[in-house]
Amino acid sequence: MSKQNKFVMNTRKIKHIALLSAFLGTTTFSFQSCTDLHEQVYSEALGSSINPTEKDLPFILAPAYASFRSLMFGWQGYFDLQEESADHIITPVRPNGWDDAGTYRRMHQHTWTSEEWQPYNTWQQAYASITKANMVIMQIEDGTLNLPEEVGQAALAELRTARALAYYLLLDNHGNVPIVTDYRDDSLPDQKTRKELYDFVVKELTEVLPNLSEEVGTSMYGRLNRWGAKALLAKIYLNAEVYTGTAQWQKVIDEADDIIKTNNYRLDDNYRSVFSSTNQNSSEIIFAVPYDEIYGHGNQLHMKSLDPLSRLVYAMAAGPWGGNCAVPQFIDTYDTDDSRLHDSWLQGPQYHASTGVEVINYLKHVPGIGGDGTIAASNAGYRLGKYEIKKGATTNLDNDYPMFRYADILMMKAEALLRTARADEAAVLVTQVRRRAFLDNPEKAIVTGGDLQKGSTYNYGWQEKDGSVATSNGGADIQYGRFLDELGWEFAAEARRRQDIIRFGVFQTKSWFNHRPHAKAQSRTLFPIPNAERTKNPKLDQNDDY
Amino acid sequence: MNKNYFLLILFWCAMWTLHAQEQIELSGKVVEANGTPVVGATVSVSNQSSKYSTDENGVFLLKYTGDITLTVSSLRYKTTTLSITNQRTITVLLEEAVEQLNEVVVVGYGTQKKGEITSSVASVKAEEFTKGAVKDAGQLIQGKVAGLRVTTPSGDPNSSTQINLRGLNSIQGATNPLVIIDGIPGQLTSVAPEDIESIDVMKDGSAAAIYGTRATGGVIFITTRQNRSAESRTTLEYNNYASIQTILRKPDLMTASDYQRLIADGENYEDLGNATDWIDEVTQNPFSHNHNLTLFGGNSRTNFTGSVNYRDWDGILLKSGQDRLNIRADLNHEMFDGKLRSHVQVINSSIKALQGGSSEYMWRQAMIRNPTDRIRNDQGKWQESDAYMYDNPLGMIHESVNDRIFRETRMNGSLDYRPIDDLSVKGLFSRVQSNDLNGLSTSFDHVNTTKNNLNGTASRWTQANVENLMELTVNYNKSFDGHKFTGLAGYSWQRNSFENFYAYNFDFPTDEYSYNFLQSGAALQRGLAVMESHKQEQTLIGFFGRVTYSYKDKYMAMASLRREGSSTFGENNKWGSFPAVSVGWDVAKEEFLQEVPAINQLKLRAGFGVTGTIAGSPYNSQISYNYLREQGAYINGTWVPGLVPARNFNPDLRWERKEELNVGLDFSLANNRIYGSLDYYTRNVKDLLYYFEVPVPPYLVSNMMINAGELSNQGFEVLINADVVKKEVFSWKTGFTLSTNKNKLVNLSNDKFGVTREFFDAGYTGEPIQTFTHRVQVGRSIGDFYVLKTVGLDDDGKWLVEDRNGDIIPIQDATVEDRKFYGNGIPDFNLGWNNAIQYKNIDFSFSFRGAFGHKILNMSRLYYENPVNKAYNVLKTAYDPVYGKTLNNDLVYVSHYIENGDFMKLDNVTLGYTFKPNFVKGINYLRLYMSGLNLLTITGYKGLDPEATSYQGDFLFAPGIEHRDRYPTTRTFTCGLNVTF
Repeated sequence: MSKQNKFVMNTRKIKHIALLSAFLGTTTFSFQSCTDLHEQVYSEALGSSINPTEKDLPFILAPAYASFRSLMFGWQGYFDLQEESADHIITPVRPNGWDDAGTYRRMHQHTWTSEEWQPYNTWQQAYASITKANMVIMQIEDGTLNLPEEVGQAALAELRTARALAYYLLLDNHGNVPIVTDYRDDSLPDQKTRKELYDFVVKELTEVLPNLSEEVGTSMYGRLNRWGAKALLAKIYLNAEVYTGTAQWQKVIDEADDIIKTNNYRLDDNYRSVFSSTNQNSSEIIFAVPYDEIYGHGNQLHMKSLDPLSRLVYAMAAGPWGGNCAVPQFIDTYDTDDSRLHDSWLQGPQYHASTGVEVINYLKHVPGIGGDGTIAASNAGYRLGKYEIKKGATTNLDNDYPMFRYADILMMKAEALLRTARADEAAVLVTQVRRRAFLDNPEKAIVTGGDLQKGSTYNYGWQEKDGSVATSNGGADIQYGRFLDELGWEFAAEARRRQDIIRFGVFQTKSWFNHRPHAKAQSRTLFPIPNAERTKNPKLDQNDDY
Repeated sequence: MNKNYFLLILFWCAMWTLHAQEQIELSGKVVEANGTPVVGATVSVSNQSSKYSTDENGVFLLKYTGDITLTVSSLRYKTTTLSITNQRTITVLLEEAVEQLNEVVVVGYGTQKKGEITSSVASVKAEEFTKGAVKDAGQLIQGKVAGLRVTTPSGDPNSSTQINLRGLNSIQGATNPLVIIDGIPGQLTSVAPEDIESIDVMKDGSAAAIYGTRATGGVIFITTRQNRSAESRTTLEYNNYASIQTILRKPDLMTASDYQRLIADGENYEDLGNATDWIDEVTQNPFSHNHNLTLFGGNSRTNFTGSVNYRDWDGILLKSGQDRLNIRADLNHEMFDGKLRSHVQVINSSIKALQGGSSEYMWRQAMIRNPTDRIRNDQGKWQESDAYMYDNPLGMIHESVNDRIFRETRMNGSLDYRPIDDLSVKGLFSRVQSNDLNGLSTSFDHVNTTKNNLNGTASRWTQANVENLMELTVNYNKSFDGHKFTGLAGYSWQRNSFENFYAYNFDFPTDEYSYNFLQSGAALQRGLAVMESHKQEQTLIGFFGRVTYSYKDKYMAMASLRREGSSTFGENNKWGSFPAVSVGWDVAKEEFLQEVPAINQLKLRAGFGVTGTIAGSPYNSQISYNYLREQGAYINGTWVPGLVPARNFNPDLRWERKEELNVGLDFSLANNRIYGSLDYYTRNVKDLLYYFEVPVPPYLVSNMMINAGELSNQGFEVLINADVVKKEVFSWKTGFTLSTNKNKLVNLSNDKFGVTREFFDAGYTGEPIQTFTHRVQVGRSIGDFYVLKTVGLDDDGKWLVEDRNGDIIPIQDATVEDRKFYGNGIPDFNLGWNNAIQYKNIDFSFSFRGAFGHKILNMSRLYYENPVNKAYNVLKTAYDPVYGKTLNNDLVYVSHYIENGDFMKLDNVTLGYTFKPNFVKGINYLRLYMSGLNLLTITGYKGLDPEATSYQGDFLFAPGIEHRDRYPTTRTFTCGLNVTF
């Protein structure tokens, strides 16, 4: 090999080395991170970087309440579950649909299945609340959430109350469900009996009462204070016989008296102000689920009830869907001088907001629930008017859902008195509640103990298409039926009728509209355990007769 | 990237004795195997710089001195070189550039001779592609690769094909094959179909394992057309086509006269006094055209390829279509005597999609709308009624704007350094960035305003993706004494980031702005506008190596390993190892078979490989929270957002692993005239990743990502190609593919849950029926329908169903427990039959494709073949007797609507004529063709298209549903032109 050749080789080598190093140089930057798999998080807040303190408490408490908002007045929510299975409200097939594969019919006729969404929706939202409460309870208990002792205790008590409220919904609707209290325990939970659930909820509420805030007013509005917890306890005791077989009437009276004694609450002078779009100012509300057009979406009751043409009446920025309405037989029970008839139900001609022209006339008559070819006209049936629909309303109303209000405390106490042979005392309370409904006829407000022991004026029976009630067996045989009527008039469309008529035995025995008692009527007082949950947790047995 | 093509050379020669250095005149002719002259072929002589080219008769003339090497090259043919001494005439026969045994197939990080491959790899070249108005790369190879199921469930020009290889192999991770375009991951839609030279599919795990976690669904390599000629070349090609579409099948709905007749019969329909065929009104006769210009240029050291592809497609639904421009530039440069090779590629796409209101939901409105209603009212406005979810479909189409602009730039470059023979060190760098920009608005005449008083709505939505990739590889090859080794080692780093932004406003003073002046809407000030943003990122890092060995092409072996880590998994579970081995033995190369001329190849193969699947989205292992408005509440007198966990936490999330065993046979018989492959595979997917339905309680939300379960797949694949006739004037190639697939859910369990789940339910009927359609049960196949089995109607017209004991009960007494398994939505086997016939200048090809052994849930019948709801229009068949009676039952999900889905389609027919070269002066190649797609469907299925069932997304576990809301599929007729200058 000649020198020259060698030189060529060398220069070539150098070139190669230069190239190689340039090549590697360009890639060195990445070799520094060549095995770095750190996950950069952008649109989530890492648990490790959140160190919540007292000032973060509102953010942390909020989720436990949030589920109630989407549940109560949301699509096929708790309202539908309680009202459409009862004798006040129906969703008939209409020219614009509302067949929805028969789900409203099944709610009405108690033929719902374990896949029906309305009861499953309640299950999901209730447990969402429970699990979110469990999480924060754990964070407070293990110190992740760094709170002063007193604040921590109060927060714990409030969260346990919210959790108890969610369990109460399950107690009332599904009965035999799991109880989970430890967020860390993700094993498949065991099913508990309705009695065990009742005991648990009562024990929880009783335990937390001393630590709950006694404050009323804005800071506790929409939250559970001691009086909210007592109202809940009263409600549970009121239904204790249904839940456990053992009545607890005296306990109802005791809890109600505790609330009455505080003088924190009083009946609003005007019935409508309890349900107005500014009802946060009501002095009657003990616990409400707040809604807001901007911040707290979910109150869509008007959307489901109003006919689309009603948008012109309220200059709405949304087109309502036109579905549910009042059962005509129920409307017939009202005293025509009872202002709650008009305060609760939209009826008759409705006028355009700006032109004043009549756009629709809501008539009482509804031919049938549908499914047999019957179609209810778009104006058939009185609509929900209890919750004020403000001008320019959107899909979401501002009105809060008054879950526990003072009138209810009085009426719970009245019922307990009535059932414990103190009818006259009960009548005083009922009269107190009725007064504002008969301002023009004050004498009509007065009821006696004897009145309350009468049967119901509700003409129970199957309704024919022409509105006549065939196979009528009426309501005269219902014990304390008149009191049940009082509950109906005062609390129509407040997402509770199912519970009331179960307690009075109507749910299981009576016919109304296109509903006849189910062949296994008693079993229908509980909803089935959702099929979807049973497939995921084989420990869950189905409720009887499903 | 030079490739050595093996050449077949034939020549005649006449011997002349001449003096050395004397100039000799050579007259030659370049022909194809069938004698057709090759026009415009480049002829170069080893000791001359000038080049010659053949005339319209394929003839060239040149003068030469001494011993020379003649190189003849032409596009679409293999370059041929031959030595010449003292010759005066010559005929050079050019072989078409396909010869299957020596074909080079793209494998991960390199290429391999097909004869040496020990895995199941399928290769489809451009000439075998589906012709005509092809949507994307998937459709090019539809029915041509055994085991690869390509379907076109939607007729929307903006939708892509759905593709699946060897069944369902992952649930949450990517089930789609990894698509690699010239070495860079992409999509089947990333390059124009006209720009594709070949598509190679790695089917089995032993081959795909080199791609580790992204390769569970297999790997598809797309190679774009590039200037690979060794000689300087200047070619310009122009291809275009124009096409029209017709609806594949129009639904047979009740007309106005049907309404009137039924009203006369006492049915409660509403006659609004008009007659409108809503389906006709919402459809159009779409015309589409496509243009492709490709140029190749340069010399052996520096060359380039450029292409411009423009297409303007109309959709069958009014105001829907796509306008797309793809530009590609590809540059190769060689330095230092070929020791350093560089390559730069840029592919740019810009797609404008027009959707208007032609959504799938609009289709539902056209289906259910009263045929006696009119389109416009007396005021000339859209006729609307106040019914719920019942809008004028034409109002939806004309009063809404829905534009999407998608821009993607794929940039990549590589440096390949070869310091010594047999060794290559390569760095590949790539960035793929794409941006999506959507604009949506509705005018004052849209129901959003006419019904809902929103006063115009408008939104913008944008997202950006960036995918950076770096791959460093070292390749070493060594051959001696019949032994051939190759070795590969590499490192790969990939980071994807995604970010988006959305803004929505309404209550505008005018609808003139569309979505172009969002700030004029008042909903923002009212607190009702919407604004969202999001960003995420994930990193994937891999180290990999592979060795292959072959001995005289007789014995072959391959082993590979990839060690890969993904940022998406929990801290202790980030890394996984994915090994593979495969062996092959070509029996035909053994001495005892050398004497049998009928057997050219008989290669037995076996391979085993492990691939993985990463979680579909990042952060599933993170313990993280979000402040959400919808989780907020009114606390202390103000509305606050709620702080909630982002998900059910699972820090134990780990890789899903797929183990695959593949045995196969590659054969080539009768002088390579019959060739193909047989393959059998079993796949086992363990630690299946899935958004598992978890019980509430104890969990917060009803699903979470966990590793739970095991899934198996097995199947058999056949590919047979035959040159049935191979004559000069007439040739006929036929290809047949068959594939079977059977999957089974082996178990569903997770230590965390401590229990084994027997099943979960999947699929959704939609409103208003609202129930699940499928059940995935351990021990059974995914895709099983689970439904109440109807056996008749009672006297009231209510369904009678079979209960769990086999007794007949009324449907209202039936519960979920009475449901039964009722067939499966995934075909048992798929067939493809492709034919290419050449007679003189005429080429004719046709292909059939079919799927057999599956059921389809016909949602249109489920919803529209029921007369109960008079508010909506229904199919004419709604009034047909069912079990001899009139149906009078609510809409329910029952077996009556599940049909046999078998079908056979005449998929593609193409007839072409190639003119003689220079038929038009200056044009070397000119071909005209006509083509049809989706021409004929042979099926007993009653729906619109048995192929219009989705296997992805929501339908992964609920395959075999022809949805009621859809974009109808079409038949396409195309005329096209190919020109080469």
